[in-house]
Amino acid sequence: MASVTHPIRNFAIISHIDHGKSTLADRFLELTHAVAERQMREQFLDRMDLERERGITIKAQAVRLAYGLDGEPYVLNLIDTPGHVDFTYEVSRALAAAEGAILLVDAAQGIEAQTLANYHLAEQAGLTILPAVNKIDLPQADVEGAAREIAELTGVPQDEVLHISGKTGEGVGELLRAVVERIPPPRGDPDAPTRALIFDSTYDQYRGVVAYVRVVDGTLPSNARVRMVATGHETDAEEVGVFAPDPVAATALTAGEVGYLVTGVKDVRQAKVGDTITLARTEVEPLPGYREPKPMVWSGLFPEDGDEYPALRDALDRLQLNDAALVFEPETSRALGFGFRTGFLGLLHMEIVRERLEREFGLQLIATAPNVELHVAREGGETLEVHNPSEMLVPGTYERVEEPYVLATILTPSAYLGPVMELAQDRRGSMEGMRYLSPERVEIRYLLPLAEIIFDFFDQLKSGTRGYASLDYEPFGYQEGDLVRVDLLLHGEPVDAFSAVVHRDKAQAYGRRMVERLKELIPRQLFDVAVQAAIGGRIVARETVRAKRKDVTAKCYGGDITRKRKLLERQREGKRRLRRVGKVDVPHEAFIAALRVDTEAGGKGR
Amino acid sequence: MKRPEARAGDAGIYVHVPFCLTRCGYCDFNAHAGLDHLKSPFVEALLTEVELAAPSWEGVRVVSIFLGGGTPTTLSPEALGSIVDRLRERFDLAPDAEVTCEANPDTVDAPSLRRLRERGVTRLSMGAQSFDPAVLSALQRIHSVSSVRRAVDDARAAGFDDVSLDLIYGARGETLASWEGTLDEALALGPDHLSCYALTIERGTPLGREVALGLAAPPDPDLQADMYEAACTRLGGAGYEHYELSNWARPGAASLHNLGYWTGRPYLGLGPGAHSFREGVRRWNLRSPERYVEELRGGRLPTGGEERPSEDERRMERLLLGLRLAEGVPASWLPIDVAEDLFARGLARRDDGRVALTDPGMLLANEVVLSSS
Repeated sequence: MASVTHPIRNFAIISHIDHGKSTLADRFLELTHAVAERQMREQFLDRMDLERERGITIKAQAVRLAYGLDGEPYVLNLIDTPGHVDFTYEVSRALAAAEGAILLVDAAQGIEAQTLANYHLAEQAGLTILPAVNKIDLPQADVEGAAREIAELTGVPQDEVLHISGKTGEGVGELLRAVVERIPPPRGDPDAPTRALIFDSTYDQYRGVVAYVRVVDGTLPSNARVRMVATGHETDAEEVGVFAPDPVAATALTAGEVGYLVTGVKDVRQAKVGDTITLARTEVEPLPGYREPKPMVWSGLFPEDGDEYPALRDALDRLQLNDAALVFEPETSRALGFGFRTGFLGLLHMEIVRERLEREFGLQLIATAPNVELHVAREGGETLEVHNPSEMLVPGTYERVEEPYVLATILTPSAYLGPVMELAQDRRGSMEGMRYLSPERVEIRYLLPLAEIIFDFFDQLKSGTRGYASLDYEPFGYQEGDLVRVDLLLHGEPVDAFSAVVHRDKAQAYGRRMVERLKELIPRQLFDVAVQAAIGGRIVARETVRAKRKDVTAKCYGGDITRKRKLLERQREGKRRLRRVGKVDVPHEAFIAALRVDTEAGGKGR
Repeated sequence: MKRPEARAGDAGIYVHVPFCLTRCGYCDFNAHAGLDHLKSPFVEALLTEVELAAPSWEGVRVVSIFLGGGTPTTLSPEALGSIVDRLRERFDLAPDAEVTCEANPDTVDAPSLRRLRERGVTRLSMGAQSFDPAVLSALQRIHSVSSVRRAVDDARAAGFDDVSLDLIYGARGETLASWEGTLDEALALGPDHLSCYALTIERGTPLGREVALGLAAPPDPDLQADMYEAACTRLGGAGYEHYELSNWARPGAASLHNLGYWTGRPYLGLGPGAHSFREGVRRWNLRSPERYVEELRGGRLPTGGEERPSEDERRMERLLLGLRLAEGVPASWLPIDVAEDLFARGLARRDDGRVALTDPGMLLANEVVLSSS
C-alpha cells in the first residue's frame, strides 16, 4: 500500500452506462462540500444539454475535491471518462491522467462489456483498481454475485470489494477513504522540464479552446507561452486553474495536478487530446500514447434544400472548433446534390453531430447510410483511402482491398451463447477467446469487420439475447476483404447515394433487400421504373415500379375551376420538392427512409 | 333533342340547390339534409338573386341552364318551374336552350317529371351511381336499383328525350365484374348521355374520415383505371362518343352546359356557393345557405369572393380544361418535347394541328398539365 505522504490523488470511475457513475460523483461533491447544496442538481458533471437529455457523458471533465481524512487535507481529482465505445481513445487518455480507478459495478446487473473493456484499458495503463459494488439498496441487488464476478475478473479478494449505494450514500465515505489509502499519489519530477497531458479539450465561446490537462513534470504557469509537441503549435496561453467544480484560476499547476489551461487558440485541432504541452523553447520527449483522431465511420450529409449548402459548411466549420475528431470534405452526389462526406469516431458521434446540425443550426439534412473507410491497394503500390462507397473502384482495377476490423467484447448470459455466436459468425467474426465470469455469464471476444458492426449488429445482439448482452469494441487494424460495390439503379441510372460496399457473399441479399425497399418508396411515375441492384455490370436483383395509370380529378365541382386549379397547383408544389434521378422523381422521404439502416445509433445502453 | 348552336359570347347559367334527402358518404358538395325550413326562403332568395344579377348580363344570350345540387328535385316542380320562368323573363334565353335538372330517383315520380317537362326542363340528369345494391350501400345512397329503372321509365313517359345517368366507380367492395354489370344495366336503359366518375375520397366526408382512420382502404387507382377502360370499351362499343374525360353521349347529345365549362364559355352561378366566370374573373357566392338567404333578404348580392387568375394561371386552366375534351387543345399549347413524349407513350395523339389525349392519357390529365405548365 502506498504511503500517504503526498496530498493529491487522481482517479477515474470505470463503469457501464447506467451503473451509477454520475450519481456517485454527485455524492462525492456533497461529501466534500464542493457544491453548495442549493446548487446541487442531478448529474452535475454532465454539462451539455444534449448530454443531459441523452443521459450520457461525452466530454471528460475533471473535478477537484478538497477532502479531509484523519485530520489531514487531501486533494482528490476525479477525472470523468466518456461512456461510449466511440470514445475509447479519449477514455484511454483520461485514464492516463490518473493513478487509480474505481471499478463500479451495478449489484443487479453485474459486469458489462464496457466495464470490462475499460477495466482492461485501466489495467494496461497500470492503474490501481478499487472495485465497488453499487446500488446495494436495490431490492433485486445480488451484491455477493457481483462481488464474486469482480473478484474473478480483477484478482482483488472478494472481501476487499466495497459495497456502496450512490443513491443513499451508504459506503461512499469508506470509498473516499479507500481512494486516499489505496491509490498511489502521482509521481513526476516537479523540477524537470514541463510536460502536461491534454486529456480533453473543449471550445468555450468566450475563452476559446480550454484544454483539460494533467501536469506530469515541471510547472505550467498562467500566461505562459506554450507549445503543443505533436502539432508544433505555439500559443500565448492565458490562465490555468482547477474545476472545484466551477473554474478557479491558479498561478500555476505543478507536477501531479489536474486542471485546465485556457490555451489562447480558437480551434481544438490545435490542442488535440493526447498531445503534450510544454513551455516554448523547451525540448521534451512527448508523453506516450498520442494518436491523431481517426474517423471510423463516414456518411454523406446533404441539405434537403440545396440552397442551404453554404449554411451546412459554416455549421460544420463551427462544430469542428470544438470537435477535433470531426472531419469533412465536399462531396457532389448526382442524386442529392452538394454536400459533405463526413467522418466520425463512431455511430453515436455521427448521431450527435447530425442532431447538433439540425438542432443548433436549424438544418434539414439527408444523410447517407454510414460506411467505413476502405484501403484500396492499386497495382504499383499506391494505396487509396476510400470514404465513399460510390467511389469504390471496379474489380480488376486494383490489387486488393482492406477493411477496418475491431476486437469486440461481448458479455452475455451463457443461455444465449448460441445465438450470440451465430450472429458473430454470420457477421464474419472469428472468435478470439471466451471465458466464464460465473457459471451464468460468459465473455466472448471476436474479431469483426467494423462494417458489420455498424450495420444493426447491436440491435441484433440485443434482440437475440432479450436485451441481456452488452458489447464493446476497439479498433484492430485493417484486413483484406472480399468486398464488392453494389449499385442501385433507377430506370437504368445509378443512384450514387445508394451505393454500398459489402462482402461478396452478402452482396446479392443486400441488393435484393434494397431493391424491395425502394420499390415501396419510389412513387409511381408515368412509365415503368426498373429498380435494380448491380454488382459490376451484372444485375443481381430487379423490381418494377409500375407506371401510374390514374392521376386526374374526375369531377368538375359545378364550375368551381378555381378549386381544380388550386389542387393542381398544390400537386405542382409537391413535385418541386422531388429530386430528379435521371427521369425518375424521388421524394426526400424516400431517400431518408431508404438510407435509414436499421441501426439505433446508440447512446445509453450501447 | 335540339340544341342551339353556341356562339362566342353565349353564356350558361348554373343554379345551385343545396338540399338533399340525406347526405351521401362520399359527397363534399355544398349539400345539406334537414334544411327543409329553408326551402321557400331559398326560392325567394334565388328569385331575388336573379333580379339583382340580370341587369349586368343584358345582351348576353343564354344557351343553357343547369339546375344542380344538392338535389334540385327536393324542391317542387312548381318551385323549379318558377326559377326557370324567372330566368326566361330576365335573361335572353335561346328558344331551344338546354335546360337540365339533376334528379335523385327517389325524389321524382311520373306526375312530377311531367310537370318539370311542362315547365321547360329539357334534360334530366339522374344520379344512378350503380346498379349493384352492395355498391349503392357502400356509397351510402338511399335509393334502390329498381327506383332508378322506374325513374328513367317515368322520365321517358313524361316526354324527356334527353336523359343522362351519373355513375360512380371504385366504391369499396366493387369489382371490375360488378362495374361491368352496372355499365350493362345502364346501357339497357338506353340513356342519351352517361357520366362516369371515379370515386374520389374527399376530406371531411364520412368516407374520408373512415379512410383517414384506417377503417377503410382508399380506392385502388389501378382497379379504377381498369374500370375506366371498361367504360371506354363498353360505352364506345354501344355507340356513345367519349367527348369528355368523364362523359359519354349519343351523337349530338353532349351536354351543352358542361361543355361550356371546358371551353371557357362565360357562366353565371346562382345559389349558395355557386361559381361564375366572366371576362377573366371568377366569382363565387357565400357557401352557407343561411347566409345566402340573409344577404338576399337585405337586397345584397351574396358574393363570397372573386379572383382574376393571372395569365399563367389562365394558361394552366385552359390546359386542364381543354385536355379533358376529345377534341383536345391546339398543339401550340403544349411544349413540343412534352407532346412528343406523350405521343411516344401513347397518351396523346396528333389531330389536325391539335393534341388530344387518348383514353389512357385522359386518366393522367393532371400529370400532363403539370409537365406542360
